[in-house]
Amino acid sequence: MASEDLRDLKRLEGARALGVPRSFADAAAQVRARTLANGLQVVVWPDHNIPSIALHNWVRVGSRNEGTGRTGLAHFFEHMMFNGTSRRAQGEFDRLMEAQGGSNNAYTSQDVTVYQDWFPRSALELVFELESDRIANLAFDTKVVENERKVVYSERRLRVEDSNAALLDEQVQASAFKVHPYRIPTIGWPADIQAWTMADLQNFYRTYYAPNNCTLIVVGDVEADAAFALAERYFGAIPARAAPPPVLALEPAQRGERRVLLERPGQNPLLQLAYHAIGAADAREPALNILQTILAGGDASRLHRSLVEEQELAVAIGGGWAEGFDPNVFMLHATLPEGGDLEALQSALDVQLAQLVDEGVTEAELRRAKNMVAADFWRGVSTIEGKARLLGEYTVMHGDHRLLFSAPETYERVTREQVQSVARTVFDAERRTVGMLRPLVEAELTPELAPA
Amino acid sequence: MKIPPHQRYTLDNGVKLILLPRHDVPLIAFDAVVRGGARLDPPQQAGLASVTAELFTRGAAARDAFSFADAVEGAGGIFEAGAHAEALLLHGQFLACDRELMLELLADALQRARFEPDELDTVRNRRIEFLKATKDSEPQSLIGAYGRALLFGAHPFGKPISGSEQSLAQISREQVWQFYQQHVGADRLTLVFAGDFDPQVLRDEVAAAFGQWRAAGAPLLPLAAPERINGRNVLLVDAPGSAQTYFWMANVGVARSYPARAALEITNTAFGGSFGSMLMQALRVKSGLTYSAGSSFRRGSVPAEFAISSFTQTQSTTQALELALETLDRLKREGAGERALDSARSYILGQYPQGFETSADWAAALAELDLYGLPDSYIDDFDGALTRVDASASRQVIAGAFPDSEDLDIVLIGDAARIRPEAARLGALLEMPLAAPDFQPPVA
Repeated sequence: MASEDLRDLKRLEGARALGVPRSFADAAAQVRARTLANGLQVVVWPDHNIPSIALHNWVRVGSRNEGTGRTGLAHFFEHMMFNGTSRRAQGEFDRLMEAQGGSNNAYTSQDVTVYQDWFPRSALELVFELESDRIANLAFDTKVVENERKVVYSERRLRVEDSNAALLDEQVQASAFKVHPYRIPTIGWPADIQAWTMADLQNFYRTYYAPNNCTLIVVGDVEADAAFALAERYFGAIPARAAPPPVLALEPAQRGERRVLLERPGQNPLLQLAYHAIGAADAREPALNILQTILAGGDASRLHRSLVEEQELAVAIGGGWAEGFDPNVFMLHATLPEGGDLEALQSALDVQLAQLVDEGVTEAELRRAKNMVAADFWRGVSTIEGKARLLGEYTVMHGDHRLLFSAPETYERVTREQVQSVARTVFDAERRTVGMLRPLVEAELTPELAPA
Repeated sequence: MKIPPHQRYTLDNGVKLILLPRHDVPLIAFDAVVRGGARLDPPQQAGLASVTAELFTRGAAARDAFSFADAVEGAGGIFEAGAHAEALLLHGQFLACDRELMLELLADALQRARFEPDELDTVRNRRIEFLKATKDSEPQSLIGAYGRALLFGAHPFGKPISGSEQSLAQISREQVWQFYQQHVGADRLTLVFAGDFDPQVLRDEVAAAFGQWRAAGAPLLPLAAPERINGRNVLLVDAPGSAQTYFWMANVGVARSYPARAALEITNTAFGGSFGSMLMQALRVKSGLTYSAGSSFRRGSVPAEFAISSFTQTQSTTQALELALETLDRLKREGAGERALDSARSYILGQYPQGFETSADWAAALAELDLYGLPDSYIDDFDGALTRVDASASRQVIAGAFPDSEDLDIVLIGDAARIRPEAARLGALLEMPLAAPDFQPPVA
């Protein structure tokens, strides 16, 4: 290891010499934030590299805000928000936006629903008008709702029901949490997708789609004052509503490992380990991200090298965690070769994690991870979309957009001790859920699953 | 959108070099194109070019596979190598301060890859397992491989670029070495760099690192154009218990050099390339049959396929297939409509700048121009060409480039026991299990 350590120490000097580019320091000074009287937060980052703008609306609602019997509503709303308002028929939102050169998308997570628009600067006013219209005037047409219910079910079949990996993931997540709504699959349980009523939808909209529950992120070929003026013109008259009910559930400390075994037709066994971890705003967040990179970031990472390359117990291994408002799980997931031994892989993984907790990480591993995180960061801020994504994450999930601009230094300051400490906290076998998917060979298939 | 100032050079041994300096962020992106690629795979060895490319990064010169990965990741870099139908492509990005390391890795990968037998085994076996795992968790992502095998048959475009379980198992170290000797060399190589560098310095460094490299052993023969098909063939890929039917319907389309490219892109955007498109409106917005539906042209130095793809729950298979076919009929009969064409034009114009935002975007764009022998005007004049497209130009494209719904090869991945009779009604039916180790349809 000595020679590798030396090489990496040279790299360390290189990275320090690079420092923070001056253009980035200048940008920090140009980002401006304002909160309208109705509580709508607006954050603007001017960037004139291309004549385009990215506008994201972060709504603070996800499957975390749902309850038993009505899961999937936040995701369903992500669909409904494109389906017409009292002023514009279904399809007009996309038609008007595309006709002025804009495109859009949206995603729903456990914590938030994010609406994204990408467009030439000439469409800026239209986009503000369309975004405010659907916050103020969404339509609830029975026929449209029933149609969209089918679309969402199709999405569930695509993403979950025809996927062994997703089915296992859904079961592991539902087992790792007994109390906190992070147990809920964001796309919703099948029976719930069939069960929402019009009253559920209207109530959900009134509760969560209020200006005081939204943050607009505007990045690109625009000046802050112009964006603030448009926000005031189009959103200023929408009244604030009562703050949505807080999510009070706290997951009690897990006492003892949980195990999930799924047996499905297929060829490759799958293994998942879910460890209770921390929330996005936790001070240990940078250390956990560094740890994730050391463990599973790239082909030279610890787990890939030991379990995939050397021991050949898995063909792929990955790790990550959802940075949420509340502590979520850190997930390790592996694909085994056909006929692979799930128990042997889990034992080998346990050895690796125990070694990490006991001995910590090397200075070379820390340096490598910091370089990877830093390079990802610079690649991220090289596009308006990447800037908007990061600005949204820091504003909404971390609570202050300015933290984005200190992120490079924050990561640079992470120590080996902090990484080992967070590893010790997270990798506790008493607080994990082990998920295994064992493929059924033909002889084991029940008549229901067997080919006709 | 105009290509920023850039310089082109050719070394004495034939290596082409394109440099596009940009100093907005301290990064350098590269694309290395080795002309030839997967189309040169021998018939029984689909995946050979792609495996060869992957081995570039799994041990080269003094570094073994781990050291190579560690050098890239230790610098926070990206270094990927793979195959396209008509080229091997290496792509990467490094911090500007790591320029020398980047060049060293690139030169080692192309000129001094080790091709060790153990690494070949690893790459091959892992790919076979990934294919199986994909069938378990993402079967729809393989539908194009089945489709191209059906549509192109013995033409090189019919082979799966990454290989099949069956073909990968047959690839030997000797075949990899022979492919490398014959089809990788200075006369096939174009290097594109975009980003934060001094062009004079980088040019000298590239000349030093690549100037002595040998040429490829074999000449690069032109690729024959595939023939369009007449009538319909249907391949049913049986995935027992599948909750949905995934479908793909295609015929041979047009080449990169297709003169009416702007009209083609506008028309396809209106037909199946945007949320407001005819296919999305019919299959998703109006009927709720699917989450997504679309169409696209793959265009090579010769025509590849035009394909429509979507999916739906098993019991609505016929309804969705018929609606997709009817939507194609409607396009052929009535065109896309003036308003839809105007909207598609604005949409493409509005989205276009975002494809040229970073150094990596520019490196990829210039590499693509070079690979297909396209002039700079392909990018520089595209805005103007879009503006000139009218309904008559669109109608000509619809007649010339979009297939008739009676002339399609169709692939269905789904529960054969439940959809076999419906599939048979579409055309001459072939069937194979999803678990079969190859994409090649059975002989009728």
